[in-house]
Amino acid sequence: MSSKATIYSFLFLGLAVTALLIVAPVVYAVSLSFYQMDSFVGAPRWVGLDNYARMLSQWIFWRALINGFIYAFGTIIFQVVLGIGFALVLNQVFPGRNIVRGLSILPYLLPTVVVVLTFKWMVDGSIGVLTQVIAALGLPPVQWFESPGAAMASVILVSVWMWTPFVTTTFLAALQTVPSSLYEAAKVDGTNAVQRFFHITLPMLKPILTVIVLLRAVWMFNKFDVIWLLTQGGPVGATEHLAILSYKQAFGQFDIGGGAAVATISFAILSVAVFIYFRLFPLDTE
Amino acid sequence: MAEVRLKQVRKAYGATVAVHGVDLDIRDGEFVVFLGPSGCGKSTTLRMVAGLEEITTGTVEIGGRDVTRLEPKDRNIAMVFQNYALYPHKTIYENLAFGLRMRRMDKAEIDRRVRSASVMLGLDPYLERKPKQLSGGQMQRVALGRALVRDPDVFLLDEPLSNLDAKLRVRMREEIARLHQEVGTSMIYVTHDQVEAMTLANRILIMRDGHVQQVGAPLEVYDRPANLFVAGFIGSPEMNLVEGHVSGRTVRCGDLQVGLPPDVEAGEGSAVVLGIRPEHVGVAESPGARPFQVSVIEQLGAQTLCIGEVDGVRLRVLMDRSDAISHGTTLPVQFRPDRLHVFLKETGARLNRAGAREGQRPAA
Repeated sequence: MSSKATIYSFLFLGLAVTALLIVAPVVYAVSLSFYQMDSFVGAPRWVGLDNYARMLSQWIFWRALINGFIYAFGTIIFQVVLGIGFALVLNQVFPGRNIVRGLSILPYLLPTVVVVLTFKWMVDGSIGVLTQVIAALGLPPVQWFESPGAAMASVILVSVWMWTPFVTTTFLAALQTVPSSLYEAAKVDGTNAVQRFFHITLPMLKPILTVIVLLRAVWMFNKFDVIWLLTQGGPVGATEHLAILSYKQAFGQFDIGGGAAVATISFAILSVAVFIYFRLFPLDTE
Repeated sequence: MAEVRLKQVRKAYGATVAVHGVDLDIRDGEFVVFLGPSGCGKSTTLRMVAGLEEITTGTVEIGGRDVTRLEPKDRNIAMVFQNYALYPHKTIYENLAFGLRMRRMDKAEIDRRVRSASVMLGLDPYLERKPKQLSGGQMQRVALGRALVRDPDVFLLDEPLSNLDAKLRVRMREEIARLHQEVGTSMIYVTHDQVEAMTLANRILIMRDGHVQQVGAPLEVYDRPANLFVAGFIGSPEMNLVEGHVSGRTVRCGDLQVGLPPDVEAGEGSAVVLGIRPEHVGVAESPGARPFQVSVIEQLGAQTLCIGEVDGVRLRVLMDRSDAISHGTTLPVQFRPDRLHVFLKETGARLNRAGAREGQRPAA
């Protein structure tokens, strides 16, 4: 086989897999949003943009959108700030550093359901360790899943707990690539540790920071399992974001067209956000 | 500008001692080169002067001030790194100005200094570029400029030319020499390249395994290497080192017999190493000349280097350019006792009291 034929055959295979696994489901999901369907077995009825008009006119959609932004921003800010902080600590030389580095990735290795159940036990009303600590401190008990604010804080807390190690590990790897001579030159230039962080570390981490914020934003905006396992979007929709709303609409209300319309809008919002993000923070900054 | 004084400066990493007590007084405006092979402790010593390595014991004074426990920023030093260490996200102007900004210098004064340094180093057209848009030579000039704008007490340069190609290295060497003449600030320069050391230094400090081997002016260490290591390290092509035994007033090296220099006192039968610089082997017909059979010829342009054997001893002989020599040619060679170096084989210590240069007085 000539080299050109080899290249085309690989290209074709790649395109075929992409079409089958990514393009086809997306097209199918988008197409569902133009039909009125109450199950996957019945005959769909073409309704055009009615599903979009119906969903966009409901306040639960806008609540889910705002919840999605609160959840995504909340988790990203804490994950990135804590991730950089932990990475800076783990980048220092101290006894047992390798063990601590290994342990720090553990939460990321656990299945979501294990992390969620552990958290639920920790905040259990009678035996939860957090409940005991709060009581011992003389603070009023926290209604973790009953009060809207506390429920959002819970899903953000668990998400930060679970995915900060990913950010830490990525930043730790990026920190290894910063030449030590830059820090030494900055020391000779008269900087203190804080100035070195802002003048050397942060700018050197910028390319990786750009990618991490984007990836985390996309993942958190679409995150389903943690919220579903913890609150199922409750109480009274306080933690319900677009992914949960889409699922509930399609499989709870048997409104598959409406659920597909919510998912399609969510997809469109993310696509526009990613486009704007790359315009604002191009990867190649040089 | 300031003098620098190192007193018994020692560096240990646990049980491993990297630098065994360096004593050195650097005069105001002097250019001192730390020279030695990789791992000899020269960079560690420089970094201790800079404050980038903690000093285990001993003291460093800069301008009469004990800086041993001070942070690098409080030592009023400037440093040029081997890999330039330019801030990649800052423009050349920002790179040059950064150290001054951190010291909260007046903006107009920063601008004046940056402009002045950039003119001196020919960096004017590149001030708005980022480091990666410059060539290696230009980056090295920026690194020099960053040190220059600071107007420090002492410049510390850690193998600044190692990353450059041979031609650029020669040009930058000249620039550094010019810069030193213009600014007149004390400089400590680390290199493993003896040519850089010989051409730039007022004095060279030669190190090996953390020990100072010799401190002296370039020609002094060339003419009077303090020991076998310095003899082998300084000089290109390398000095011929031939093992032998003292017999009367001669040294016997196999079948080769060479007269002992008049200033060497050595016991009968002592095991010694004879040092003969390739350019100090006389090539001429004369009574007592020995036949040197050439096996390898290296034409260096102005000179010819021949490698071959005389009385079973392998030697390098450097002579004026000769186009007529070929493999197998026999040349008459002789060794003038006053150009020979003799070292004790066991300790490597030098036995000559005088230098190997004609008419040189014995060392005090």
